[in-house]
Amino acid sequence: MKYILLMSGTTAGVEGYHAWSKQDIDAHMAVLHRINKDLTASGEFVATQGLAEPKEAKVVRGEKNGVPVTDGVFPESKEFLLGYWIVDVANAERAYAIAGRISAAAGPGGKPTNMPIEVRQFAMHGAKSE
Amino acid sequence: MKYILMMNTMKAGHGVPGWPKKDLQAHIAFMRGLNKELHQRGELVSAEGLSFPDQAKLVKAGKDGTPVTDGVFAESKEFLAGFWIVDVDSPERAYEVAAKVSAAPGPGGAPLNMPIEVRPIMSGPPPEML
Repeated sequence: MKYILLMSGTTAGVEGYHAWSKQDIDAHMAVLHRINKDLTASGEFVATQGLAEPKEAKVVRGEKNGVPVTDGVFPESKEFLLGYWIVDVANAERAYAIAGRISAAAGPGGKPTNMPIEVRQFAMHGAKSE
Repeated sequence: MKYILMMNTMKAGHGVPGWPKKDLQAHIAFMRGLNKELHQRGELVSAEGLSFPDQAKLVKAGKDGTPVTDGVFAESKEFLAGFWIVDVDSPERAYEVAAKVSAAPGPGGAPLNMPIEVRPIMSGPPPEML
């Protein structure tokens, strides 16, 4: 069963991340790399991506004639997707366990960030380029 | 350049299950046609639909690293309903695809005009963070 693990945050939270020391960022990245490595070894890894910062986000709507209308103004409280993992696991509990590990990744001073990770199952088979 | 096109929905506004079958079929046919077109142009990386918000869980790591799940969300929370990852030549092309998604038919065949969030995908963490 495929699940997506979504890590979200507000613009204020992303700006806070920029203030982390290099050492703390290195330690955080090392944990995330380790998780990716473990998921690859267990055959559960499908994909992971980090997204560009919220300031690069645009919201697009199609006008009546299909012309894209873009907007880049968002409320401060808006949650942005920061990154995600797609895993192929035996059950929901396993997806929650992986999300728990991501949530426990080290933050400033080596303390767990304890970030909430949203876990959702895929609705149906998606389309792939392969 | 890779972009992610995110279709978000409010928990309260997630009325898709209540659509007439005919409208739902027209909507799915439109999405399949769009995915086919993107695939033929060599721009489709992946497209996935997610399960409904009632199946979403928020996971945090407990003190000993065990996952703590919560499924209670504010009515105003935005949920990711589905996403496309496209590999395109310019942001303008990503916006054009997003506008097509936005104009997907809804109840009665009228365009939904949904807002689609468009963000560049990072190819990897900056080298200094590894």
